[in-house]
Amino acid sequence: MLIGSPRAIRSAVNPVYLDHAASTPLDPRVRAALSPFLGEEFANPSSAHRAGERATRALEAARRQVARAVGAEPRHVVLTSGGTEANNLAVLGLARAARGRHVLIGPTEHASVRGAAEALREEGFEVEHLPLDARGDLDLDAAEGLLRADTALVAQMLVDNEVGTLYPLARLARRLRAKAPGALLHVDAVQAFGKLELSLEELGADSLSLSAHKVHGPKGAGALVLARELPLRPLLFGGGQEAGRRAGTEALPALVGLGLAAELAELEREAAGRRFAELRALLLAGLARIEGLRPLTPGTARLDSILALEVPGPPAEVWLHHLDARGVAASAGSACRAREGRLSPTLLALGLSPERARRVLRLSLARTSTESDVHAALDALGAVARELGALRS
Amino acid sequence: MSESTSTAAPIEVGPGLALVRYGELALKGRNRGQFEQTLVRNIKRALAPLTEVRVERLRGRLVVFPERRKEQALRRLAEVFGIKSVSPAWSTAPEPEAIAALARAVLADALADLPAGARPTFRVQSKRADKTFPLTSVELDRFVAERILTEDSPVRIELDDPELVLGIDVRPERAYVYSRRIAGPGGLPVGTLGRVLCLLSGGIDSPVAAWLAMKRGCEVSFVSFHSYPFLGEASKRKVADLAQRLARFQPRTRLFVVPFTEVQIAVRDTAPEAYRTVLYRRMMQRIATHLAARDRCGALVTGECLGQVASQTLENLSRIQEASGLPVLRPLIAFDKEETIALARRIGTFDISARPEPDCCTVFQPRHPVIRSRAADCARAEAALDLAALVARALEGVEILDFAPE
Repeated sequence: MLIGSPRAIRSAVNPVYLDHAASTPLDPRVRAALSPFLGEEFANPSSAHRAGERATRALEAARRQVARAVGAEPRHVVLTSGGTEANNLAVLGLARAARGRHVLIGPTEHASVRGAAEALREEGFEVEHLPLDARGDLDLDAAEGLLRADTALVAQMLVDNEVGTLYPLARLARRLRAKAPGALLHVDAVQAFGKLELSLEELGADSLSLSAHKVHGPKGAGALVLARELPLRPLLFGGGQEAGRRAGTEALPALVGLGLAAELAELEREAAGRRFAELRALLLAGLARIEGLRPLTPGTARLDSILALEVPGPPAEVWLHHLDARGVAASAGSACRAREGRLSPTLLALGLSPERARRVLRLSLARTSTESDVHAALDALGAVARELGALRS
Repeated sequence: MSESTSTAAPIEVGPGLALVRYGELALKGRNRGQFEQTLVRNIKRALAPLTEVRVERLRGRLVVFPERRKEQALRRLAEVFGIKSVSPAWSTAPEPEAIAALARAVLADALADLPAGARPTFRVQSKRADKTFPLTSVELDRFVAERILTEDSPVRIELDDPELVLGIDVRPERAYVYSRRIAGPGGLPVGTLGRVLCLLSGGIDSPVAAWLAMKRGCEVSFVSFHSYPFLGEASKRKVADLAQRLARFQPRTRLFVVPFTEVQIAVRDTAPEAYRTVLYRRMMQRIATHLAARDRCGALVTGECLGQVASQTLENLSRIQEASGLPVLRPLIAFDKEETIALARRIGTFDISARPEPDCCTVFQPRHPVIRSRAADCARAEAALDLAALVARALEGVEILDFAPE
């Protein structure tokens, strides 16, 4: 039991939050929509009484909202506890149900895909990684060379969560159909959701994963969306919920929140996109005036809402804490991964030394971000650059 | 706890009490009463998160009665310093027949945990603090063994190195019977030797040093130095988590978190690079000495170990100690790293210490720390600093965190 003083939570509230790739604030409309399910609407959707029926309707409404947001059919939506479970279910569930025993995963996949692939390796699957080219983009020719007749599954994220690279998924899909028609393509769209138009058909993908809290929904909700009826081995066994694909009493408050968050993400996507472009331009113009800060531009296309920049001097984590002390929340994802002994493959592919890769800071926007957020962040970056620069001399 | 003496199954609910034996306390002569009192207080604080307890003091023994979570409470007792061993036990009236009946039940309970068909060897081992008891210890051993060794008895007597020892402790008020003896940590009750202040880093060594100081009867307060915003709140949480873990071994735990950024920048800006580490540590000792006076601590404790890193030399240890007005205890001075790690695992601090360190301090660390620092060089470097003002400002920003066993 920590009895401690209130100063321990000094930086709990950041007036300027630029770490939206980690999480986003709950939309007040979403909060209003889900709150009855934390109160009077507590019934189990599996119950036969009227209260249970209301719960079922709310659940199915959420499923339709998710389906519509990504152009899928409601019956192909498997509601989960979040992006990690959706990715685990896709990688493990699709591969285990397939005949082939060869799995390819993208070069910069999230740990929920990498970890699931490692579990497959222990089950006897052969697991290989798709390579990056020198620009930090997916190397399609090399990827094609890895595709085989017995490839069961390819898992490739749509947007890199650390540096914002937009990967050429549709091109990868076309090569996959030609070379390995039996293989399934799973797309981790957690970071892309709400930023790009998502359509399984246009991506040429067989499944994609989503998370509610990256689009102003609650934590604890996500979805695996399938392009059609696909053999899928469940991870959780029990009461047959989600058509036997995901057992467990449905987390209705979170899933109702996911439904509306998904609808709003799609509804406001274009307006948000314009805002991201404007704010990014503003940010880049301001960064150009601060000595030593260098934006990174991997690949051929990038998401405007994620900006990675190399900072001078100490590791990005020191910058992060100095910015935090000035009320600006950023991320040093690569620095954290460095401690796990795993630097961003994109940064290494771009030719950065491990030492430089540790000096990469990430700013990420949401549709709630404002010009004044960007100005405040630039002011803080300038001040920290002067403060740390003075130390160096 | 059944008072019945006529049936063989009075103990299905498990042991209701623990016989606690303490070691060195018995040797403490005039201080013994106070040592026992401290041990009783520490037992109550250690078990408080689990259950209320009643403690009876017998001659040379404590009897602990937990209200709830009895088995867990009895095992937690084996972590309390000053305790030599603990036996989960049952009690009955101090009469030979009652004792024999309880002994049969305790034996049946112990046998229930063995594979079916096992025929373990056993012996009875009685102690008699009540000299008015009608039988001598040897006679009671024999009396009980005869009652146990019926025709269909699954046990065999063996006096040397038996698999089961049925212990009997006869006191004037009650007799106690047990089949297990759990080793305690030994040492002295925390608090009986006063209070010390341990410099706690996030590393593996200092928590172990603190635990060893507690083992020898010291209540340990902690001081940690925090360079925000070069380090984040997470590194402070790591130190707080270590303090919380160590709090389970003593009744009261206080952590002082000292803002250290200004000191580090001042030293970095003025001192020769190689001397930085020694000078940071000298500043830590000065600040710790002030906090020790405020918290009534009679010594400092560090996790220092001779030669563990290149800069842990006699010269550097001397330079660091010279900055403090207090004795500096270094329980790990002669430990190998493996020994420290083994102990850290045992006391549950290793996993916390092993959490990845942020690589932020590179700003302040010298590339090549001095190996044989000289007092004159330290004095010259520190002449450029307003030591008193730096110490005073650091003390102004001290944050105090208190922890209880959990």
